[in-house]
Amino acid sequence: MTSASTPVAIAGWGQTGPLAEDLRSIPEMVLDAVQATLRNAAMGYEDIDAVVTASVDVFDGMTASNIAVTEVVGAVMKPETRIAADGLCAAIHAACQIRAGAYDTVLVVAHAKPSMSDFYELTKWALDPIFLQSLGIDFLTFAGLQAAAMAAEDKDAVERWAGLAACRLADASGDGKSPGSTEILQSALVTTPLREKMCAPLADGACACVLRRGDDSSPGRKEIRLSGLGHDLAANFIGDRELTESAGLERAAARAYADAGIKQPEDEIDVAEPSVAFAHEEELFVQSAGISDNTIISPHGGLFAGNVPIVAGLSRLTAAAEYLRRNNDLRAVAHGSWGPAGQGQAMVVLENAIP
Amino acid sequence: MIREGSIRLPFAYAAGKSGSTYLRALQEEQRILGSRCSACDRILAPARSFCPTCGDAELQTVEIGPGGVLLAWTERPDKGILGLVKLDSADTAIVHRILGSSDVLSTGMRVQARFGDASDENPEDSLLGFAPEVADS
Repeated sequence: MTSASTPVAIAGWGQTGPLAEDLRSIPEMVLDAVQATLRNAAMGYEDIDAVVTASVDVFDGMTASNIAVTEVVGAVMKPETRIAADGLCAAIHAACQIRAGAYDTVLVVAHAKPSMSDFYELTKWALDPIFLQSLGIDFLTFAGLQAAAMAAEDKDAVERWAGLAACRLADASGDGKSPGSTEILQSALVTTPLREKMCAPLADGACACVLRRGDDSSPGRKEIRLSGLGHDLAANFIGDRELTESAGLERAAARAYADAGIKQPEDEIDVAEPSVAFAHEEELFVQSAGISDNTIISPHGGLFAGNVPIVAGLSRLTAAAEYLRRNNDLRAVAHGSWGPAGQGQAMVVLENAIP
Repeated sequence: MIREGSIRLPFAYAAGKSGSTYLRALQEEQRILGSRCSACDRILAPARSFCPTCGDAELQTVEIGPGGVLLAWTERPDKGILGLVKLDSADTAIVHRILGSSDVLSTGMRVQARFGDASDENPEDSLLGFAPEVADS
């Protein structure tokens, strides 16, 4: 990890979606998110030194999926880096560029449009071609295996997850209405023990933010800073991992907390925005990231308002920043997760800072 | 407007030394192979070219299974049952098909590998999957 001596602030953010099916082209969808972000940051393309994008070629049905958005992210004749992982990783990469002194202002953009194809069918192509692809396994199967492993010795787990899904769906609805636990437990079977309404609905969308070098020259000016960065990859073979825990998230969180100087996460985090695509993952998050009842989790329903793969973690970062901007709380965490059964994990600590 | 499209391209994936040894043993001998990492003192399943923990590439090929323990399983209405099986002698688990009805499955139960014939193009199909172990009467 690079030196934390250079503070990194989030200057603005914006998004399009999440929509179940966005009929716009990907560049049009991304352009709206970028323009909303630049307006929010009171900046123009000319203020951006570099761009980090997050996208996955196979999800877009083309190679070099970042090239299709090069112009709308303002990266022509500028340094651009593409991350083929969750957008929160792109934000961490951008923050590291600023900490390293390479750039002062970096635009981070993530997009995905799962409505274009059969998303989970595409995830088969992320798996080992010799041992796994012929079995027809995809990320949904891995989510089911993880949930099954967790439920095996916990007879109340599935009912608890239905309750969690009901809470998040209610928070995401905006009017507090959601199906009850019984209805959730009776929704269509996706992969045992997961039911349809325990799974955050897939959606199309794009999300962006501007990160810039923190401003220590204007005392008293409030800014939201990324004070802790951490990410981690767990073992590739899923059978090498203990599925009932997320050692990868434990390591990612430990790095982010150490970076931010957090010693007691159970007492020091006001709000958490985890990437929970399946209800059981919220319990893994709470357990692995050391979150307690003192922390508000997903105040607006998190990904249950619409799960845009690759965008998810970056949208959690901007949701956490929005929360800190609107409230006087001190500290939030944003979480990203990608790959089969959360192989990749990322965590960012955000703070309301008054230099 | 929407333009319909599809990508259909054949690929030739190299199984590598350990993968080829694993597939050959499945197809020709109906045996499942793993790899012993002496440095980590554990047996990895399936066979590997290197230890993912310490990076040691001098692994010893060993036979594992064909019996094992079902650690977890999930059933999809359209795709059957997939499970995580820890084979006898192995320290890590493999993912594969679980054969039969989910009504009789339980975590921790003993399962046995089931083998069949497979073409040279798809040697991995020699391992049909794992079925609950039938107790000797």
